[in-house]
Amino acid sequence: MSDPRKPIAGRKPADRRVRVDRPHSPYFRYTGPGQLVAKAAAHEPKSALGRAWARFRKIAIGRPLASEEEIGERLSKKKALAIFSSDAISSSAYATEEILRVLVLAGAGVALSLSLEVAAAISVLLAVVALSYRQVCRAYPSGGGAYSVSRANLGALASLVAAAALLIDYVMTVAVSTASAVAQAYSVVPSLYDARIVIAVVAITLITTANLRGLRESGNIFAIPTYLFIFLALAMVAIGSVNVITGQAVPIEQADAVETGTETLGLFLLLKAFASGSVALTGTEAIANGVPAFQPPESKNAADTLIAMAILLGVLFVGITFVSDGYGIVPTVDGGQTVVALVASTVFGAGSPLFYLFQAATALILFLAANTSFNAFPRLAALLAIDGYMPRQFAFRGDRLAFSYGIVLLAGIAALLLVAFGGDTHALIPLYSVGVFVCFTLSQIGMVKHWSRVRDAGWWWRAALNGFGAVLTAIVLVVVASVKFLDGAYLVVILIPLLVGMMLFIKRQYDASRRELRVKPGLVFKAPQREERAVVPIPGVNRAVIQAVNVARSIAEDVRAVFITEIPEDGAAVRAQWERQVPGVPLVVVESPYRALTGPLQAYLDVLDSNWPKDKPEPITFVVLPEYVARRWWERILYNQSVKRLRSALLGRPHTVVVNVPYRREDPSLSDRTPSAPDEPKPT
Amino acid sequence: MPQEPNQPFKRAVVALSGHPNGQRLVKLVAELAKVHKAELVGVHVVEVDWSMPLDMDVAGRSDEIQQVLDLAEGTAEAAGVTLESVLLQARDVGAALVDEALERDADLLVVGLAYRTKFGGDFAIGRTIPYVLKNAPCAVWVVREPIQEETS
Repeated sequence: MSDPRKPIAGRKPADRRVRVDRPHSPYFRYTGPGQLVAKAAAHEPKSALGRAWARFRKIAIGRPLASEEEIGERLSKKKALAIFSSDAISSSAYATEEILRVLVLAGAGVALSLSLEVAAAISVLLAVVALSYRQVCRAYPSGGGAYSVSRANLGALASLVAAAALLIDYVMTVAVSTASAVAQAYSVVPSLYDARIVIAVVAITLITTANLRGLRESGNIFAIPTYLFIFLALAMVAIGSVNVITGQAVPIEQADAVETGTETLGLFLLLKAFASGSVALTGTEAIANGVPAFQPPESKNAADTLIAMAILLGVLFVGITFVSDGYGIVPTVDGGQTVVALVASTVFGAGSPLFYLFQAATALILFLAANTSFNAFPRLAALLAIDGYMPRQFAFRGDRLAFSYGIVLLAGIAALLLVAFGGDTHALIPLYSVGVFVCFTLSQIGMVKHWSRVRDAGWWWRAALNGFGAVLTAIVLVVVASVKFLDGAYLVVILIPLLVGMMLFIKRQYDASRRELRVKPGLVFKAPQREERAVVPIPGVNRAVIQAVNVARSIAEDVRAVFITEIPEDGAAVRAQWERQVPGVPLVVVESPYRALTGPLQAYLDVLDSNWPKDKPEPITFVVLPEYVARRWWERILYNQSVKRLRSALLGRPHTVVVNVPYRREDPSLSDRTPSAPDEPKPT
Repeated sequence: MPQEPNQPFKRAVVALSGHPNGQRLVKLVAELAKVHKAELVGVHVVEVDWSMPLDMDVAGRSDEIQQVLDLAEGTAEAAGVTLESVLLQARDVGAALVDEALERDADLLVVGLAYRTKFGGDFAIGRTIPYVLKNAPCAVWVVREPIQEETS
């Protein structure tokens, strides 16, 4: 390397110039006096292991993105319908089956005669919820999730209940949608049934990886499967309905149908069927949450899209139920075809290309529905972290601008649920709806309060509509929670208060630490006038110790070494060597007959404190710990265990600062060639 | 690097004076460099008085001086071009710019010109630009900032 300060000759003798080195340039960029912005190279790891890990991450999730590389794309209504509606519309793939699975307990005939009425009742509920959320789109153009609406109108506790319910809802969306998508796959290839959990976990892993890479939902890749499903499902409903109405539909023979007629029909069974089918409403709130993503006028476009989505969902849900009734389709035993697959194979023809295409589209839209939660959950967790209700890590964005902690947590819990419930959609459903209806209810109550506070033109009928929605969803919430309580809803009923308690606890901890760390604005801080002393606990005399003592000497004038040993003879030997080789630094040998290390050192420090003159301010005690840095990661377990124990023991000690002095084997300053250290022992 | 037909330049040295107009200049050249896949070198010269040694640490420790080059780097990067930044100490800015352009085999030297008038009268061009125009062997572009309307 050439000398950076060596003058370079110009064309004339007087035109010399000096090139000035800019060592910060590869790592930082100045944006103002004393203000730097780190470049990508600044966070590249220095160790071989770190570099290998970074290479792996780059392959797995892509190169790190700078914050300004985030792309914000506004969505047209057509694109937004595809992107925000996959969760809601995809629920039509399993909602009918959930109704039938309950009603068949009272007999196949009863199931077929009443399922349409139950589906119609749920569609009325859907209409009310959609109209209520339409109001949310208009009132909260910045995004009206249940958490935001509750926080703005109902206070912290209600917003936390909404947040807890939403978090559960998002986890359940991933678990249920993935399980249902896999069910569509084994409806076509029955041999996949045994591998359903593995397939589901692999699918979640792939979606997680894609999201950690910073997958955006704005691409056409998301619109195609949604529209394909909508088109094929509408065609299936239309063809099937014509067949049923014209009397061409002949009830199919099912060899693997579930056992029917084990219970008598009563109000409880009807309510349970209603509660099970109400999973069709999950995902209805997604558009209200995402109003800012729409092209202007955002609120109007979002409200229109919401209504279009509700109509599509209603038509598909009622349509699939009507056709399945017409063909006398009842659910199959575990591992058999899903109801929607049976409808498709009956209408399109078993083994026809359209049947396979429909099944593929259904599985894809269900995976997309799972993916929507991978956007929503981490964002909500980040919002909660910013508000102090969740650990701050959830607000950090990873290399690819994704909220990595939230994504990984969501994937982990959803995968665990899938494993725990055997990848069975029907086993998971009872946990699903409770959280959704808690959100609906709180959101609608919040909106009533919003309208009564704002009181703009037509506020009373807007408040009445949201009020009606709130009452209706509250009733459904009670029904869902009570009729499915023993089937698993109790878990959610327990989990919501637990999550709220956890969030309040975290908030209290953060508030307490903030209060403790707060600096009064009026105070001006001057340099401290306190004395300093340094204590160096030593395991013997070696290069790491010498280096630590030298650091201690640069910190304070009062330096002493402490050697704690259980063998008195060792103490004498170390003292002899110490006094010969490290003159000027007193050594205290502490014999420890109970073989303890941290206790005697802490006690010694306490004694030092108590000997300090009472009229002088407490000194700052620097405990300087020599630490040997192993070259390889696997060697590290062999060293510094005592140092770690001492550091942990001293961390909370008042007026004490723990200083780690790492000694690297290749450190030339203390090599054998150094005249001041001719015959030191090898590092321990 | 062979020069393509219609390529206005293949390697340009951009003089960075620290004047606010400099960012506009860098953006302009960077956009052209991107289209024609040309290289950019941003040079900031700190003039050292004859009373001080030339190799004295004048520029290295100044945040403001580093910022001139870093801002240019950032502006070029935003336009999708990498700008190599060079910090020089010299007795004369014009000579250092011409010598650096020569050493780097640049075929274009771009200098910005602030609109100033001498004591409120004649337009002042300073001494660096006439020197560069007279001595640079490559093409020289002088980009003058727009005249600010006086507000009285």
